[in-house]
Amino acid sequence: MADTSSRPGVVLGIGLAVVAAAALAPAGLGGRPIPPWSWAVWAAAYAAGIWMFRRGGFVAAEGVRRTMWLLPVVLVFTVPAALLAPAESRARVAAALAARALAAAAAGAALAAWLGPAGLVRGARQLGAPERLADVLEATLVSLVNVLRQAKAMLRAREARRTAFGAWSDLAASPAESVRGFGRLVGALLLRSLERAEALERARRARGIG
Amino acid sequence: MHIPDGFLSSGVTIATWTMAAAGVGVALKAERADPHAMPAGVLGAVAAFLFATQMINLPVAPGVSGHLVGAALAAALLGPWRALIAMTVVLVIQAFLFQDGGIGALGANIVDMGLAAVAAGYALPALVARRSHSPRAFTMATVAGAFAATLAAASLAAVWLGLSGLYPLGGLLQVMLTTHSFIGVLEAALTGAVLVTVLRWRPDLVRGLPASGAVAHPGATVLGVVAIALALAAFASPFASTWPDGLAHAAARLGFANRATTAWPAPLAGYAAPFAASARWATALAGITGTAAVTGVAWIISRGLKADSHG
Repeated sequence: MADTSSRPGVVLGIGLAVVAAAALAPAGLGGRPIPPWSWAVWAAAYAAGIWMFRRGGFVAAEGVRRTMWLLPVVLVFTVPAALLAPAESRARVAAALAARALAAAAAGAALAAWLGPAGLVRGARQLGAPERLADVLEATLVSLVNVLRQAKAMLRAREARRTAFGAWSDLAASPAESVRGFGRLVGALLLRSLERAEALERARRARGIG
Repeated sequence: MHIPDGFLSSGVTIATWTMAAAGVGVALKAERADPHAMPAGVLGAVAAFLFATQMINLPVAPGVSGHLVGAALAAALLGPWRALIAMTVVLVIQAFLFQDGGIGALGANIVDMGLAAVAAGYALPALVARRSHSPRAFTMATVAGAFAATLAAASLAAVWLGLSGLYPLGGLLQVMLTTHSFIGVLEAALTGAVLVTVLRWRPDLVRGLPASGAVAHPGATVLGVVAIALALAAFASPFASTWPDGLAHAAARLGFANRATTAWPAPLAGYAAPFAASARWATALAGITGTAAVTGVAWIISRGLKADSHG
C-alpha cells in the first residue's frame, strides 16, 4: 500500500463521508421500508471504492477481488438478520443488508489502500485528530512490522520444538501447560517489544530528538 | 466481537461515536495530567504487541480458535487511560488496514472492547488493591477482570445490534453471553499466563497496579463496576420479572416486537446444554461454569507466581 495522495486529510475526510453514507442509508431494519435512493448510495459507494482502489495503484479486478474477501463476514451478520425478517420481505432485507455492508466495507478498504498507513496518520493529523493519539498511532504502525516479525519468528521456533502434531494435540494432552506456554511466548514477545521501544527512546533522547 | 459496517442504525452509530469520543477525550486528558509520562514510542509498542497477540490463535474447540483481546492485560500494564488509548489505536488500525470491524462501527467497537472492557478489566484489580497489595492477589483479580471484560464487551455488542433492530435483543444477549462465557475463560487464562510471565521477569512494567491502598483512577473504577454490573444484569435479564417489559417496550418502539416472540429457535437449541430445560438456564449455566472455571484458573496461575517468588 502506498500513500499516493498529496492531500491525505481531504481524501480521508471524503472517504469517511462515503463510508458513513453507505453504512447509514436505510436497509429495511425494524420493518421499515427500503428507499430506492439507498440502492443508489450503495452502488455509488461501491463504485467509489473501486475508483479509490485504482487511485491506490490496484487494477479494478484486484479491487473487486479484495472486496469479495469481505463477503463471509458480511454474510455472518446478514443471513441471521434476514431469517428473522418477515417472510415477504426476507430476500429484500438480505440483499439490502449485504449491499449496505459490502459497500461500506469496500469503501473503507479502498480508502485505506489508497492512503496507506503513513497517509492515514497524516490525514488524521490534517483532520485535527488529537496529537497524542496521532503520535501513538504512528508509533504503533512503526512498531507493528517489527513486532509481527518477532511473533512470526517465535511461533516458527515454537512449532519446530513441538513434539505433537495437529491443532488439538497440545491443548488436549496438557491444557494447563499449553496455556502456560502460550503465556510465556506472548510475555516474551511483550518484553522484547518493550525493550526495543525503550532502547529506541533512549537513542532518540541521546541524539536530542523528542 | 468486532461489529462490521452496515449493521448499526444511525442513532446507535451516533450515540456510540459520542460515547467513544468522550471516553477517549477523558483518557487523553487524564494521560496528559499523569506526572509519569510515557513516550509515544513505548505506548505504541504496547499497542503493536496487543495487535500482534490478537493475531495468534489458540484452538478452543474443533474448528474454532480464540485469541487474546488484551483489554484487561493492557489495563494491568498501562493503567486504564493509557490502556484505552492503546486499545483505540489497535481498533483503528484493525478497522482501516485490515477491515476487522467497520469504520462506521468504530465508535461501538471502541466503547465495547476499549472503554467497557478496559474499565471492567481494571475495576477488579483496583478494588482488590485496596485490601491486598500482593502480586498474587493482583494477578487473580486481573484474571477475573479479564473474564468480566469479555462478558461486558459481548453484552454491549449485543445491545448495539439489538437496538439497531438487527436481531431481537433478548435472544441475542443469551447467545452472546453463552458463547462468550467460554471465550472469556480463555481470555482470562491467557491474560493470567502473560501477566505471570511479565511479573516474573520485569515487574516494573506492570504499571497498572495501584501504588497505595486507595483506589487509583476512581472514575475508571466506577465505570468498570458499572460495566460488570451490566454484564451481570444481562445474565439475570431472562429471569427478571421487570426486564422483559423494558425490552418488549424497546422492541415495540423499534418495530421488531412481532419477530422477537419467535426469536432464535435454532441457534439457541444448538448452544443449550442437552440437560438444560431452556435457553435461559443454559445461559445461566454457562455463566456459572465460566465463573467457576475462571476462579480455578486464577488460583492455578497465581500459585505459579507464589512458587516463583519463593523459589
